Amino acid sequence: MKFFRFLIMTFLLISFSNLKADNYDTRNKITKNLRCLICQGQSVYDSDSEFANSLKILVDKKITEGLTEDQIYKYFKEKYGDWILYDPGLNKNTYILWLLPILLFLIGGAIIYKNFIVRK
Amino acid sequence: MIYSLIGYYSLIFGLIFGLFLFYLSYKNFKNSILLDNKIIVFSFLQFFFVIISFLSLIFSFVVSDFSNVTVFNNSHTTKPLFYKISGTWGNHEGSLLLWLLVLTLFIFIFLVRAKNQSVKYRILTLVFQQVIIIGFFIFLIKTSNPFNYLFPIPNEGLGLNPILQDPALAIHPPILYLGYVGSSIIFSSVLAATTLKMISSSWASHIKKWVLISWIFLTLGILLGSIWAYYELGWGGFWFWDPVENVSLMPWLALTTLLHCILVLEKKSVLTSWVIILSIATFTLSMCGTFLVRSGILNSVHTFANDPERGLFILIFLFVLIFLSVFIFFLFHKDDGRNSYNFFWMSKETSILLNNWFMMYFLSVVLIGTVYPIFLDVISSQKISVGPPFYHKLLIPFLIPFLLMMAIGPKLKWIKSNLDDKLYLISLFIISILLAFVILKNFSQNILINTILISSALYLFFITLRDFFVKKYKKISQNIAHFGFSLLILSILFNNLFSSEIITNLKVGETFENSETKIVFESINQKKEKNYNSIVANFNIQNSKGEEDTFSPELRIYNQPVIATSEADIKTTLMSDKFIVINIVQNQDFFNVRYQVKPFMMWIWLSVILISIGGVISFYKK
Repeated sequence: MKFFRFLIMTFLLISFSNLKADNYDTRNKITKNLRCLICQGQSVYDSDSEFANSLKILVDKKITEGLTEDQIYKYFKEKYGDWILYDPGLNKNTYILWLLPILLFLIGGAIIYKNFIVRK
Repeated sequence: MIYSLIGYYSLIFGLIFGLFLFYLSYKNFKNSILLDNKIIVFSFLQFFFVIISFLSLIFSFVVSDFSNVTVFNNSHTTKPLFYKISGTWGNHEGSLLLWLLVLTLFIFIFLVRAKNQSVKYRILTLVFQQVIIIGFFIFLIKTSNPFNYLFPIPNEGLGLNPILQDPALAIHPPILYLGYVGSSIIFSSVLAATTLKMISSSWASHIKKWVLISWIFLTLGILLGSIWAYYELGWGGFWFWDPVENVSLMPWLALTTLLHCILVLEKKSVLTSWVIILSIATFTLSMCGTFLVRSGILNSVHTFANDPERGLFILIFLFVLIFLSVFIFFLFHKDDGRNSYNFFWMSKETSILLNNWFMMYFLSVVLIGTVYPIFLDVISSQKISVGPPFYHKLLIPFLIPFLLMMAIGPKLKWIKSNLDDKLYLISLFIISILLAFVILKNFSQNILINTILISSALYLFFITLRDFFVKKYKKISQNIAHFGFSLLILSILFNNLFSSEIITNLKVGETFENSETKIVFESINQKKEKNYNSIVANFNIQNSKGEEDTFSPELRIYNQPVIATSEADIKTTLMSDKFIVINIVQNQDFFNVRYQVKPFMMWIWLSVILISIGGVISFYKK
């Protein structure tokens, strides 16, 4: 019985620490994508300012509350605005940002194909 | 005092010589059998006076002459001599004086070296270059005079931002500026050549050297900035897609495109319009970089000194230059279409076109990503951030075909060719894919994209590696550069995938331990230097293999100005870097400790050096 209890305890401990490690990675990943609003162009992950540290704690809290990554981004976006996210999602403000390079690429390809390539 | 006077009047003299040069050029251009010796003498004198001006600024810094505002703002008596000198260009005024110095130096070298070019061409290049030079003279004297007086004379200066007190950053600006400003010669000479309708193969071989010079310095300049960011900013990263980094990358992309495109022009006298546009774009992007950094528009870690009014001047100046070049392009350049513009699919021409196509795409991503938030803010006052995820999402998928083409392209012959030896091309491809699978078999995240990326980088790696040993393969410069690029991509990927990191809070005497690493925070002691006091923390770190290292990261408190910085301690070996940095947590008695193991760090730097060696070899090749 004792052995059994020990086994369960170890199992719990291991799974708990795994969970913790996973959370840790998620937290790093999320904080890398958040801008530290009071710093000059640093991410929350990179910064050690008080603001960044409090945000790190907040991210931890949200992860343990069981929010997914996207939900957490959404939460911060609602609280602080788009400025805090390093990944500007595709929305009406950013259509040009995302699509213009690709459009230029297609136009470039068309020009090359039309003007330079010998067709059989 | 006296140095400021000398410096200021040298600038005025330099400006006057510039105006004289316009007059001389005009006279000489009408009667252009021989280049007037006076022109060479005057451009030398102009260069000479800018040097005098620059030296007097350096002297003002060395003797800590605080009657000079620039020195007062950026220096301090307790600073080591080396940083007093490097402080000369670690600020807005001084760095612009350095711009000017390089501008005048390059045009002088150009006049002397381009002896076998036609006289008219040399004169016109000089004229266009003088337009830029005079613009900078006026900019310097009107808005950013480095020799302004301060009265009463203070006893002590304000000091230099401590994160600029660093050897890599001391030489980073001069090197980068040689690259930036080098592109001004390309700009001036392309305008001259367009006006004289002499854009041709021979012009291409002549200007190629100048393209290579700028390109080599720009590459090395970016490298130095990146190395500095790695160990000085203390985050363990080396590229942040920060706007100021982006503005140095943009001219580099344009220049690299130009370098490839000029090969086609050199061989076949086609793509003339494209070469002209690229040359103009490269210098315009360099100027834009200066504008964006100096105007304070950008929110960035690197903007140390800025002022909106100066930004306005550069902006107007930039528009003048763009207008001038567009005007010349449309007035003088006639693409007569006599050359056959048709390339076969399998030809070197097409592969270079494809290179240009992708490079322009990369450039547009970086450009749009950098300026779009500014425009959006102005137009709709909505603030958005464009960070690494944006660039990664748009760049990485396109990098894959780009790498494959980099492997195949150089093997194709001009006009029309077939790939011989298809067997080894295919077998190397299969080997690359298999190897990528083996490397990544333990990974679960993003396995597909990483495997494809690593396979294509490995493919380029193997193909170029093999070519070093093929006797008939003579394009050593190209091969080294492409090989370096494959190595760069591989090192960045491995560095990203296999880095590990521990962030923890420790008091003195405490130990952190997990399955792989044991960190012992042994002690702290204090150190007093001339320009800072520091707390040195001593760590002993042991990894799972039992290897032990001692680290002593520092927290420095600089006295002038009073700024606290974290100095990382980095143990560099060929295969991996160990990086530790500490931070104070306010109102707590523990330190925040961040320990990272970063494999292949060294290879990132080495591969960029390899890429530039490719350029150097190409420069010296006949």
